[in-house]
Amino acid sequence: MIGSGIKRGTAELAILSVLEEGPLHGYEMARRIEEQTKGALRFTLAALYPMLYRMEQRGWIRGAWEISHSGRRKRCYRLTPAGKKKLSPLRKEWAELFSALKRLTKVSHA
Amino acid sequence: MPDWQELVRQRLSSLALDAEEKDEVQVELATHLEETHECLRKEGLCEADAMQRTLAQVGDWHNLRRRILIAKRKGHLMKKRLHQLWIPGFLTLILSMLVLTAFQKLGFQPRIAVSRPNTIFFYVPWLLSLPFCGALATYLSSRAGGSRGTAVLASVFPVLALTGAFLSMFPIGSILGRIMGRRVGFSDVATTLLTDGVGWLLVPGVALLAGGVLVHLLFSGRPSSQNPVIG
Repeated sequence: MIGSGIKRGTAELAILSVLEEGPLHGYEMARRIEEQTKGALRFTLAALYPMLYRMEQRGWIRGAWEISHSGRRKRCYRLTPAGKKKLSPLRKEWAELFSALKRLTKVSHA
Repeated sequence: MPDWQELVRQRLSSLALDAEEKDEVQVELATHLEETHECLRKEGLCEADAMQRTLAQVGDWHNLRRRILIAKRKGHLMKKRLHQLWIPGFLTLILSMLVLTAFQKLGFQPRIAVSRPNTIFFYVPWLLSLPFCGALATYLSSRAGGSRGTAVLASVFPVLALTGAFLSMFPIGSILGRIMGRRVGFSDVATTLLTDGVGWLLVPGVALLAGGVLVHLLFSGRPSSQNPVIG
């Protein structure tokens, strides 16, 4: 079973990465993550928003209200300089973890 | 099509955030559900299925409410505690220690209240300065929106820090005494605790508290826009 720390770390990396491409609101963000990971990562509303609020409190992202083309009020999230700074070591950490797992599984299959 | 704004408002009505923040969360989540529902309908799902799958985005509303509250409040609480307690408390501690050092450097001698069997020292000028330190802590804490209890705690913070230091010194002193071959009896420890406790903790604590309470009474008498309206 995947621990909550790993789950949270994956979610944070996914959100920061997708916001690096540009500002997005919650629904778009969830869709983008699902599309780009070909459905491997899916965010429900209940998982996404507490995560966004926590990341906002930490100063990694910033939300601002905007009016969309359809006339709806939407809260758009952007990456802050602190979030950009966080992204690089987070990517490195995960890359190391995946390569370690890869090495480990190769050894166990041999 | 269901009124998602109303549905979310009902389900999250007991979300313990201030009105504006709560409204923003409700609008944001309702818009998300609205878009999910629209998308599912466009994909060809019937109303009942679309509704069911949209609501499955949340599942447990109680859990969602709790998680939003934790995410939103955690940062607030830490910031509040820092501004209402830790900053005023440590400032008062540093200020009171600086004042004590300054008086010692200036050559003020401690007053001996009880000389036998154990000595109780009182630095009178320092004690006279402590109500101002306590008052400053209470003022800073109250200005940051601290409650009465937090403001009082901030005002007596130097004494609490000293108490911690005193209590940790005794076991260390006892261990050192044993190493050096000196026997430290319980009565020695108790007497030292009592005399030093009076001179360094109790009386300074009362002085700090006096200043803190005075400022609190002065401020609580005035109507303030910073105090939240309860009820």
